Amino acid sequence: MDSVNLAALTENAARLGMRIQETLHEHTRDLSIARGGASLFDMPDDKNIGRQLEFGSDRERLEAMKRLIALTSKGRNMSNYFPQVVKNVASQDLEIRKLVYIYLLRYAEHEPDLALLSINAFQKDLTDPSPLIRAMALRVLSGIKVPMIAHIVVLAIKKCAADLSPHVRKAAALAIPKAHRLDSSQQPTLITIIQSLLQDHSALSIGSAVVAFESVCPTRLDLLHQQYRRLCRMLVDVDEWGQVNLLNLLLRYARTMLPKPTITRDAGSEAEELDKDLQLLQSSAEPLFQSRNPAVVLAVVRVFYYTGSPSSLCKVVNPLLRIQLNSNETERVVLPYISAVAFEYPHLFSPHYARFLICTNDPRQVKRDKIKILLKLCTSENHQALLREFIDYADDPDDLVVGDAIHAVGQCAQRVPTCARQCISALLAMIKNTITSNAIVVLKLLVQNQLHESSLDRGLRSQDPLKIITQLAHRIDDIKHPRARACVIWLTGQYCPSGAGTVIDGIADWAPDVLRKAAKSFIAEKSVVKMQIVTLAAKLFVLCPTDHTLELLCRYVFSLGKYDLSYEVRDRTRMLTSLLSSVLPSIDGAQPETSIGEGVVLRREQVKKVLFEGKAGTADNTALSGHDYLIGTLSLVIGKDMHSDTFLPEWLEAGIDPALRDNKDTSTPPAPRSISSLSASRPAGTTGTTPVVLTPSDSTPTHNAREAWRDLDRFYASDNEQSESESTDEHGHESGKENEDSNSDEDDGDDDGEESGSKGGDEAEEWNSSQEADSLIHEHHQEVYNTGARTV
Amino acid sequence: MAIDGLIILDANGRPIIQSGYTSFPPAYPLLHIDALNNELAKAPSSGIIDPVVYVSSGGGGDMPDCSACCHIQVREIRMLASISGDMDPLVAFAFLQAFHDILQDYFGTVSTVTLKGNFDTVYQLIEEILDSSGHPLTTSSSILRDIVLPPSLLSTLLASLPASSSSVGRSAGPISLNSTGGAFASPIPWRKIGLRHKSNEILFDVTEEMRAIVGRNGATLASNVIGTIECNSRLSAGMPDLLVSFSNPNVMAECAFHPCVRLQRWKRERILSFIPPDGKFVLEEYQYAPPQKAVVNNLPIPVSLKPNITIGELGGNFMVTFTSRMTKSMENVKIEWYLGEDATGAQCTLSGAGSGVGSTGGAEGSWTFDSRKKTLRWEIPTMHSLGSRILRGSWTSKAQVPRPAHAFQIRFELPSHSFSSVRIDQVRLSSELYKMYKGVRVQSCGSIEWRW
Repeated sequence: MDSVNLAALTENAARLGMRIQETLHEHTRDLSIARGGASLFDMPDDKNIGRQLEFGSDRERLEAMKRLIALTSKGRNMSNYFPQVVKNVASQDLEIRKLVYIYLLRYAEHEPDLALLSINAFQKDLTDPSPLIRAMALRVLSGIKVPMIAHIVVLAIKKCAADLSPHVRKAAALAIPKAHRLDSSQQPTLITIIQSLLQDHSALSIGSAVVAFESVCPTRLDLLHQQYRRLCRMLVDVDEWGQVNLLNLLLRYARTMLPKPTITRDAGSEAEELDKDLQLLQSSAEPLFQSRNPAVVLAVVRVFYYTGSPSSLCKVVNPLLRIQLNSNETERVVLPYISAVAFEYPHLFSPHYARFLICTNDPRQVKRDKIKILLKLCTSENHQALLREFIDYADDPDDLVVGDAIHAVGQCAQRVPTCARQCISALLAMIKNTITSNAIVVLKLLVQNQLHESSLDRGLRSQDPLKIITQLAHRIDDIKHPRARACVIWLTGQYCPSGAGTVIDGIADWAPDVLRKAAKSFIAEKSVVKMQIVTLAAKLFVLCPTDHTLELLCRYVFSLGKYDLSYEVRDRTRMLTSLLSSVLPSIDGAQPETSIGEGVVLRREQVKKVLFEGKAGTADNTALSGHDYLIGTLSLVIGKDMHSDTFLPEWLEAGIDPALRDNKDTSTPPAPRSISSLSASRPAGTTGTTPVVLTPSDSTPTHNAREAWRDLDRFYASDNEQSESESTDEHGHESGKENEDSNSDEDDGDDDGEESGSKGGDEAEEWNSSQEADSLIHEHHQEVYNTGARTV
Repeated sequence: MAIDGLIILDANGRPIIQSGYTSFPPAYPLLHIDALNNELAKAPSSGIIDPVVYVSSGGGGDMPDCSACCHIQVREIRMLASISGDMDPLVAFAFLQAFHDILQDYFGTVSTVTLKGNFDTVYQLIEEILDSSGHPLTTSSSILRDIVLPPSLLSTLLASLPASSSSVGRSAGPISLNSTGGAFASPIPWRKIGLRHKSNEILFDVTEEMRAIVGRNGATLASNVIGTIECNSRLSAGMPDLLVSFSNPNVMAECAFHPCVRLQRWKRERILSFIPPDGKFVLEEYQYAPPQKAVVNNLPIPVSLKPNITIGELGGNFMVTFTSRMTKSMENVKIEWYLGEDATGAQCTLSGAGSGVGSTGGAEGSWTFDSRKKTLRWEIPTMHSLGSRILRGSWTSKAQVPRPAHAFQIRFELPSHSFSSVRIDQVRLSSELYKMYKGVRVQSCGSIEWRW
């Protein structure tokens, strides 16, 4: 009932508001001062702005600022108002201030001297009680690109990096790359700040600290040794954008510092050995497969794909398929990634081929990528379905897609030889259509391959492909596409030799007629076709030099080719005439002696060998070639090199000493308690980096609980205690002896982190033992190293 | 390795709003706008273009050599994000989506009018969402609402008052420096502290979409049901802790959750345990996993289509029969057919067939030919159980051999139907004492590609 009333009320209120606004509009129109947001957006530049900014009331100033922003937004240069705007930098009205900040960030570079006037105001704001103001001040201060203030900015960052509010620390982290760009000599100071930020116990600022790390000192992975395990554990609590950055950084660290996973094969069974720290990364990344953000899911996929052992690779399949369904845009981006994975491991995706069937509304690139993927997934089990699909796609309204589909049919025949015949008949059917005439090019490869195979096993099938060529030769007039024509003519020449019993000895009956037709239209042909005609003439003549008509035709074609406009055709003709000089001596007409006298003259059998042999079909691998772009990069999506320096470091054989990653701080009960409460534990200390001391459940008086919420860390602390005191029978008895490591609760993080205390103890145990193990390994390494040295 | 900037274009491809691009020469955003507009001009009549457009700067100035423009379309406007370097475009698209969701949350609808009317708010939002170095700052609308006030009735009213009488208005103004104390104070990023609602209620909207491809012989080639559980929570006080259990959680596979959901609890007990954000949010996304493995890729399709098409010179004839196999009634059925680049027009007649229930005038629906998109569209507002409709007609084309698409797109809505029959069993509130109203609504839709 209440909600109905409320709805009615708000509706009425909205209507009333509209009414009032309308009337007001009418009134103000008379005064020609229009004041809706939309009309502000379209107001022209005038002197009023400056006056309002200097002398106006807050409302007028706000309006003037809005108009300035609107004009900037339309691409006008409004930097001449800079002096007036700077005066408003300390305005009491937050909205005005924000707009001033936006303006300042755009134009500070043009007016460095005036921008300096505002610095004082920001420095004052850095001590404001509100974290929002502090963070904003630092953001604007670092955004002003005046090299002179670099020192001030670094000082401000230093101050904010130790701020109580994680939001301010986050702003500090993001300011670091900007300070570095202003003055790169500050790098050492900035690196120390980054180091302290990476130790932050709040998950909020970690993502930004990683951004700072990547842009200031991306090669200093050694700074992460101590933090690696902690960062892994925190992963799930970081905000989504931070997760992407952090995952990429941890992946890089793992590839550089951890030992490569080894696979030992003995007698059918595979044993995989994964470094403990790598396992930690994978196990803490895995829950993020369930993120709603596709970018996070992909970052996790990258971790598994580039560090995973073959057995864990299958984990990337379903998440990739899931984000493919997210939206049309993500589908477009994810398909090239899937294609790259499927190129290496087709078996992962072949059961899911139905996910890659084309829809009419897919953008062109998506269709082409899908065809590519389907081809890679083609196996003897699913080839029937896929072939049907490819044939269907040849009806697509997009010519490029049709081309790809035709190629795919050809590839299909190569991958699964048993269906070759089916493919050929499909391609033959396509030739009828002008759009699909480049099917002939694919057909050529197939026919060649078939002939090659049948000549190997001397089967009876050899007649079949020849029949196809005969068919094609008869239809030469219908085939218009130059490449297709060239193809048919080449096929004719290559496969015309036959046994005796034909009209012209040694040549199949249909071949000379093709030459006759081709010679007739020679002048009108494209040069690809011309070259093939010349070649055809040479081949026919060498097969039967005695036939007079053939000789005349041949001379005719050769003399046309010799004086062709295209040098390629002339070259080809010259090459063939000298090759044939023994068989067709006076082809130049004059001075036969000189042309014979120079160089080597081949006998007819030799010429035949040169012209006909070594033409076995080559595999058409264009569609399948992989490239070495990484998944998760723009290069792979666009298929062009983006000239960037991102690369995946190669594995080290042994990895660095894992003892380096032992952290004194974290080996005592460590770790932040989760926000999303997934992976447990949260520092109970008030700030920063001090080791955690767990407070007994009754230490905090309840009356200041609300006050504690003003500060994140303190909230968590109080939350711990609250939940501990709330938690009943199952955890109640544990909270008493939580420091004794006696608890074996396996639930990694739960509801609200009630178990953070017990969890802490649990981890401590684990860590101690892992430390022991690590030091053992360490010794072992040393030993190996020593013996190795001795033998050398 | 970052998002270089953000631009919003109106229907004519002109920029309305554009982020700072402070580290780039002024020509850089223009280059991206041009690249997108060029691509749109070259687009086929369906208007579908590659969402990632490659932009080459030709090595001018200190611009990145190669960059790309990732764009999404929302109604008539387009939002684009420029990226350079070898960055993952998925980040850009995820960010654009988040940005769009925030705008929608703030202004209700995202359109040229609302954006122009609230451009100052949009600019403030961009400033908070995207750092000038190109890294997303915060996209959580609960935090943002503290920092940037959404336009309200009061503020629009005040804005429409003449400035001269403003001293009164301003003092009642929504934000001043003193009110920032609440910002950044909440311990969890997705929920503010101290919320208060007159009535406490939580509503769940379960929406399922079936996507399928049917071959020319009528056999299902691919089918898939994806579900979304959207939640609208209006619960008072600090941290209401909710437990949602399902009667058949195993039909949900490949789940993705809002960050507030405790993943371990789900893994262990298949129960959703979370502290909800305030307002609307997507709680869970899942795919339907039928209990019998055999039907995974072969779910029953609730409609059927019998096309009978002959292509001749300069056009063709067709007769299409659409039948519903559902016992419930179906709404907003839309059938689209792309007639090829050279199509010039179509002429059709509609008729009912079969059971004949409700085949009064107009109930057959209507057809239109979109001459810009070259698409024939057939719409049926309501389709009663097991009914069928026939569309007969012919189309004309400039091409000797017309090349229509070999598939129909069918879209339909099924109110209060669920393909997976997933059911929310119980919603429990712990940690707070008040009673709340709970509501669940289920609906489904389908988009099916029917080849011929």
